[in-house]
Amino acid sequence: MVEFWDDFFSYLASVGYMKLVRIFWFYFLFEFFRYIFLETLALFSWKFKQRVNRKALQEARKLMWDESPLVSIIVPGKNEGKHIFKLAQSLREQTYKNYELIIIDDGSDDATPEICKNLERNGMITLFLRNDVRGGKASAANLGLRFAKGKYIIHLDADCSYDRDAIENIIIPFYFDQRIGAVGGNVMVRNYKESLCTTLQAIEYTDTISVGRIVTSHLGIYRVISGAFGAFRSDVMQRIGGWDIGPGLDGDITVKIRKLGYKIHFEPLAVCLTSVPNTFRKLIKQRLRWDKSLIRFRLRKHRDVFLPNQSFKLGNFVSFAENVTYNLVLNIFWYGYLFDMIFNYSSQLKYIIIMNFFLYTLNNYFKFILFSPFRERKHAPIHYFLIYIPLMVFYFGYLLRLVRSVAYLSEIFFKASYKDPWNPAKTSRHAKEMGL
Amino acid sequence: MNYTLHILKKIRGHLNPELYLKPIFLLKGNEKHDPLVNNLTDGVIYSLDQVKLVIPVMEQIYLKVADLSFTRSLSFEAQMIDKILNMMYSRDKKELEPIPYFNSGIGYSFPEASINFGYMDEWQVLDILDIAEKEGLFASEYLDRIYLCNNCSGGFLSYREVCPHCASTNASSEDLIHHFPCAFIGPISDFKNEIDNQLNCPKCNKMLRHIGVDYDKPSIIYTCGKCNSKFQDISVRAKCMMCTKDAEVQYLIPRDVKMYRMTKKGETSAQTGYISTSKDIEEFIGTVKLETFKTMIKYEIERLKQTDYNSNIAGIYLKNAGELYSMIGASSQRALLRDLVEIVRRNIRSSDLITFQNVNIVLVSLNEIPTKVADNILKEIINIISRLIKQNFKNFDVDIRYSVHQLNTRLSHELQIQQVTKDFVD
Repeated sequence: MVEFWDDFFSYLASVGYMKLVRIFWFYFLFEFFRYIFLETLALFSWKFKQRVNRKALQEARKLMWDESPLVSIIVPGKNEGKHIFKLAQSLREQTYKNYELIIIDDGSDDATPEICKNLERNGMITLFLRNDVRGGKASAANLGLRFAKGKYIIHLDADCSYDRDAIENIIIPFYFDQRIGAVGGNVMVRNYKESLCTTLQAIEYTDTISVGRIVTSHLGIYRVISGAFGAFRSDVMQRIGGWDIGPGLDGDITVKIRKLGYKIHFEPLAVCLTSVPNTFRKLIKQRLRWDKSLIRFRLRKHRDVFLPNQSFKLGNFVSFAENVTYNLVLNIFWYGYLFDMIFNYSSQLKYIIIMNFFLYTLNNYFKFILFSPFRERKHAPIHYFLIYIPLMVFYFGYLLRLVRSVAYLSEIFFKASYKDPWNPAKTSRHAKEMGL
Repeated sequence: MNYTLHILKKIRGHLNPELYLKPIFLLKGNEKHDPLVNNLTDGVIYSLDQVKLVIPVMEQIYLKVADLSFTRSLSFEAQMIDKILNMMYSRDKKELEPIPYFNSGIGYSFPEASINFGYMDEWQVLDILDIAEKEGLFASEYLDRIYLCNNCSGGFLSYREVCPHCASTNASSEDLIHHFPCAFIGPISDFKNEIDNQLNCPKCNKMLRHIGVDYDKPSIIYTCGKCNSKFQDISVRAKCMMCTKDAEVQYLIPRDVKMYRMTKKGETSAQTGYISTSKDIEEFIGTVKLETFKTMIKYEIERLKQTDYNSNIAGIYLKNAGELYSMIGASSQRALLRDLVEIVRRNIRSSDLITFQNVNIVLVSLNEIPTKVADNILKEIINIISRLIKQNFKNFDVDIRYSVHQLNTRLSHELQIQQVTKDFVD
């Protein structure tokens, strides 16, 4: 063992800068450049812009409070009754009170209808709507949208909870910029201590998702408003006809709004806590569903974004290109890189794997600590996560990459998303026929 | 027929056993009689020539009536239970069966019991029969459940579907349509057009073709015509047609309707006179028991034989007391009787005695005063009682009478008490 480490350090000392770049070309060319260099620049630029826009933001807040528009909160779901009381209670704590809460039960077969009817009678729910026959999340959300009266629509997941000022903060950006059509909330992990799986997801959410969305929003290429917490202009939702069939409807609706020429904004101050899958099995199932949507929606349904036709918009093109490049193309490249290493550095592979581990771990610590001041709740202690960061190499670098690969292949060759039981077959069949 | 029922109510609803137990036969013409009339009469004759045919029936009834003793209880409930037992026993009837009856205030009529109550108070029958059942006088068998108004206990309820927000009945429903290909969902009116009868999706403009294939109707939605609110669960409310109160159905009073069978204890109670153990009014302050009263009258007569004094016995008769008690209920009845005793007590000397012969008749001894003075005292008492009842029960015409007799040393005390009460029998 000692001999192995002696050899490893001798190899490390013998590797010059050029050879290091040659061996880790994938990291330096794509990942370091994108996730460290560009993101750091973008974050500083965002912070600067925030400082510049400080007064405008205050003005927007004032405008919002002066108008105090009616906000329709719609919560579609199946068998979510057990969460609804807590949700309604947490919403009562909100600083913003002028809202109507619409719960849509998509064919629940548990006590959800009884619970919700009771809450409706007690005034904790404004309107309870039920489809006796399950129609899928999109139709449930559209039913809520159909009867919503608010100027803004907020889509929530029943099992989430929200900061006291979350509703207020997610509405304010609409008053800051009239061109904003939708605002995404900042989704954080509530059950991060539940298991190793949830802890790793919590690091991913704070690092890649939360900070990543600040960057993409700032650059104008933010592409997925989370279904757990998103706000939409009601008139825009009417124009696009609400949600289309999923899975992946969150990303789809964001693209539809972008196509109309509206901006999509990420609001880090609008914080929502969600419970993430607590086992790797559940996580893989969830991510397979999410990742398939890249092929289905980006490359199939909305492929016109890449085409120089009348509806071509550079921002949308860049957003799509970045998404497809960094998720699909580089995922394929990564296997090329793997072959490159196996064929060209087969004798040194064992040292390269260890160097790869240290390099990415260093990268992850650097990012985690450097980006901390840019996060919402920057004063929250981060020491709990620090010992888990080395595991992110396996989680993000290998597990999620593998899951992505499987998802892309199954969607490209088998259109697997249309068979996903997450959506009823009766609707998926039509979506497949129509290429939706 | 209404007239027949009216007469029947007058007789069977009376509190005096000599009246309410009388055999009644229907002289039947072509008219169809209602079930209550049929249940409360003892037979039918088709001409007056047939009277002799019913004599055996009458004899049988009188034979059974002779077995009966009547309650001396002052409790309204006890009086009613005693009446029901007496009626059933004298007619050799074992079962008291509720009959669905349009003119009943609760939808069901227990003929022997319900006849004592007005339309608005008929619900009290259920309470009285429950007491009788608890006392072991009846065994019961469940038949049905009725719901009564939570305000007036009336059973004539109109059930309506109403808006859960404003309780208006002006609500209309529409099917919700889910269009599968584009996931749009909305009321059917969203899909209708003014050109033809086709349904077109407002989101994707496609024509809806085949239910279950490209669309379905997962539920319905109501729109209130008054407050314009939308809802899926329409509320059901019951409007009481007696007091007009509109109540949610969960607040109605559920009552079991049972068939009652007279037990051996019930039969015995009819023979001995029913005395309730829990609901009875044993004694009011300022009164003595009837037995004590009789004894005291007996001694007074003996005393008078040795002196030149003049003593009197008086009776106060509340003729339509049953009607009043059924109107005001048991607790108010106690309060009324208490007031009545107090009025009498205030107007007589403390050495004079008061007792209740039954719930209608109060007996008073007025010793060592001329009969004329006693008569004046009674007049004053009657005036005060009449005023009291008039003030408290505005819609009720009280029929109150009195009678004063000078005590006769040659007649027995029993006979003299009977003479007082005999004055009140019409």
